[in-house]
Amino acid sequence: MSGQRVLVVDDEPQILRALRATLRGAGYTVESAATAEEALTAAAARPPEAVILDLVLPDGNGTDVTRELRSWSDAPVIVLSAVGEERAKIAALDAGADDYVTKPFSVDELLARLRAVLRRRGQAADPVIEVGDLRIDVTERVATVGGERVKLSPHEFDLLRVLAQNHGKLLTHRALLREVWGPAYEVEAHYLHVYVSHLRRKIEPDPSSPRYLLTEPGAGYRLVDPGDDV
Amino acid sequence: MSDPPPPAVRSSVPLVKRLSARTVTIGVLCSIGAVAVVTGVIFLVKPYVPVLSLGVLYVFAVLPIAVVWGLWLALPVSVLSMLAFNWFFLPPVHTFTLADSENWFALAVYLATAVVVSELAARARRRAASAEQRERESALLAELATELLRGRELGEELGEVGSRTAIVLGVPEATIELGPAHRPPPDSSPHLLEAADRTVGTIYTPAGSDANVAALHRFLPALSALLAVAVERDRLEREALEAEALRRSDLVKTALLRAVSHDLRSPLTGIRTAVGALRNATLHLSDEDRGELLETIDLDSERLSRLVGDLLDLSRLEAGGAAPEPELWSLDDLVREAVDTLGARGRVEVAGEAPLVNVDGTQVQRVLANLIENALKFSPPDATVHVRITATRKEAIVRVVDQGPGLEEDELERVFEPFYRRGSDTRSGAGLGLAIARGFAAANGGRVWAESRPGQGATFALALPVVEVPAELRA
Repeated sequence: MSGQRVLVVDDEPQILRALRATLRGAGYTVESAATAEEALTAAAARPPEAVILDLVLPDGNGTDVTRELRSWSDAPVIVLSAVGEERAKIAALDAGADDYVTKPFSVDELLARLRAVLRRRGQAADPVIEVGDLRIDVTERVATVGGERVKLSPHEFDLLRVLAQNHGKLLTHRALLREVWGPAYEVEAHYLHVYVSHLRRKIEPDPSSPRYLLTEPGAGYRLVDPGDDV
Repeated sequence: MSDPPPPAVRSSVPLVKRLSARTVTIGVLCSIGAVAVVTGVIFLVKPYVPVLSLGVLYVFAVLPIAVVWGLWLALPVSVLSMLAFNWFFLPPVHTFTLADSENWFALAVYLATAVVVSELAARARRRAASAEQRERESALLAELATELLRGRELGEELGEVGSRTAIVLGVPEATIELGPAHRPPPDSSPHLLEAADRTVGTIYTPAGSDANVAALHRFLPALSALLAVAVERDRLEREALEAEALRRSDLVKTALLRAVSHDLRSPLTGIRTAVGALRNATLHLSDEDRGELLETIDLDSERLSRLVGDLLDLSRLEAGGAAPEPELWSLDDLVREAVDTLGARGRVEVAGEAPLVNVDGTQVQRVLANLIENALKFSPPDATVHVRITATRKEAIVRVVDQGPGLEEDELERVFEPFYRRGSDTRSGAGLGLAIARGFAAANGGRVWAESRPGQGATFALALPVVEVPAELRA
C-alpha cells in the first residue's frame, strides 16, 4: 500500500506498535521513531505528510521537535499529550503543532484529526474560503452566512479570516493575537475573548451553543465545519 | 489538664532576715572587742586630752558594726559604749552614776551621735546590697535574653537559668518547669511564672528556704516575660520545621502521583488504541496487524496488573500490613523457586551454601525475584546473572551479580526509592521492584543493599538472620 506517509513518534513500544497497526489499517504508510533524534532523522530521510508526536521523549520534548521540524517542513503535527502536560501542549502548539489529542485517546478521534490536518494541507491560499454556510472572500474582505452578508469590524474580519484560513486547526490564543493584532498584543487574551463573543453573535445560528467557532478550554479556538466529523 | 491549679503562692515575708546563730555570735564578739579596743585607746590618750571629749571615739566602734551587721547590733553597741565610757572614765569611775550633770548631757549627745551614724551606715549598707542584688538580677536577665535571642534551645538552658535564678533569689537551688503547673515535687514551694495572663511555667524552690521576697516580685515577672518569648519562639520554630516537612512530603507525593499516573496511562493508552482499532469497522487490518494489536493488549494489561499489584504491596508495606508468616526454609530452595517464577533458569546461575532461615517464604521469594529480575533487566541479553549464597554464624547473604552498567555512588541508596528509574531508562517498569524488595526484606528481619563500581556491573545483596539447625532435623 502506498498511502500518505505518517511518522509516529513515541517512546512507549506498545503504543507505537498499536498506532502502527491502526494507521496501516486506515491505509497510511507508517514510519515510527522512539526518540527525538530518530524522529528528525526519519523525517529528513523520507519527508512525512503528517507527524504524530508524543510530547515526552527520552532525549527531548515534542515542542523542540516541532520547532525543528517547522524550520524546514510544513507537514502537519498532531501532539500526543497527557493530563498534567497542559503547559507543554500549549508550547508545542505555539511552536507550530497543528492539533493535539490527550492520552488515552480514542482511535476514531485520532484518525479524524489526522484526516482534518491532512485535508487542510491540500488547500492553498484560496482567496475565497468556504466553511459550512460561511463564505469568506479574503480579497474583497466580505463574509456571508448562507448568502447573507455579515457586517464585521476590521479586527472581527481578520479574526474570522485567520480562523477560516486554518479551519479545523486549533489556534492558540497567542497565535491568534499575533496574527490579528500583532506581536505586541500576544498576551492580551481578553481582547480575543471579547472579539470571539462578538463574532459568534454575528455568524453563529445560536451564539450560546456555538457550532462553528469552538473553544478549546485552556488552549485556544478552532473554526470547524459543523458537517465535518471532528 | 485535669490537675487542679496549685495553691496560690504564699511566700512568708520575714521582717528581719533570720540570722544564723553563728552570725549573731561573731557579731556580738566583734562588738565587745570593738568597744574594748576603743576603751583601751581612750585609756592611752586620756593623760593628754580632756576625758569628756574622748567619748566621741566610740563612734569608731559603732560605725564598723553598723556597716557590717546593721542597726540591730549597732544600737546595743552604742549603748554598751556609753556604759563603758561612764564606767571607766566619768567620775565617779567604776559606777554607773554621774557626779556632774554636764556629763549626762555629753553622754546623751554621744549616744545620739552613735545611733544616727550607725543608722546612716546601715542605710548605706542596705542600699549597696540592694543595688548589688538588682545588678545581679538585670545581668541575669540580660544574659538570658542574649542566649534566647541567639537561638539556643530553651530546654537546654533551663537548668542553667534555674541555678542562676537560685542565686538571685538567695535560695540554695531552684528548678524551672515550663508549661502548666503540675503537682509540686515534695519539699518545694512553687512560684508561678506568669506573663500576659498565661502561665509560662513554675519555678520550685526548696521548702523552708526563704527566697528574697523583693527579688521574687521584681525578678519573676521579667523572667516570665522572657521565657514566654522564648517558648513562643521555640513553638514558631517547630511549626516552621513541621510546615517544611509537610511541604516536602507533599512534593514527594506529587512526584509519586505523577509517576503513577504516567505509568498507569501508558499501558491504558496502548490498550485503548488497540481495542479501538480492532473494533473500528472502517479499518482494513491485516492478520499480522491484528496479531500486533492483540499482543499490545496482552502485554499492556499484564503490565497494568503488575503495576497495580506492586502498588498494593508497597502501600501494604508502608502501612505495616504485610505481616510475615515465618517458616523454616533452606535459602537456596527459595532462590531456585524465585528463578523459576521468572522463567529465567537458563540465564541465572545459582551457587553456594544452603543456610536455614526462618522467614515468610512467599515474601522472601518475592524479594529474590525482584532482585534477580532487576539484574536481568540491566544485563546484556545473553549475559548470565550469578547468584551466590554465603553464610556466617549470624547471617545468610544472597548476592545477585549482574553484568550491566553498574551504579554510580549516589545511586546506591536511591535505587531503593519508589519510582526511581536508573539513567534515562523509561521502559523498565514503574521502579517499584527494589523498593518492594527492601520492604519485604525488612519485614523478615533482613536487609537489602546495593554494591557497585560503575562499569563493572551491580551487586544487590539480601542478608537474613540464620537459624540453628534444630536437633530433630540434624542428620
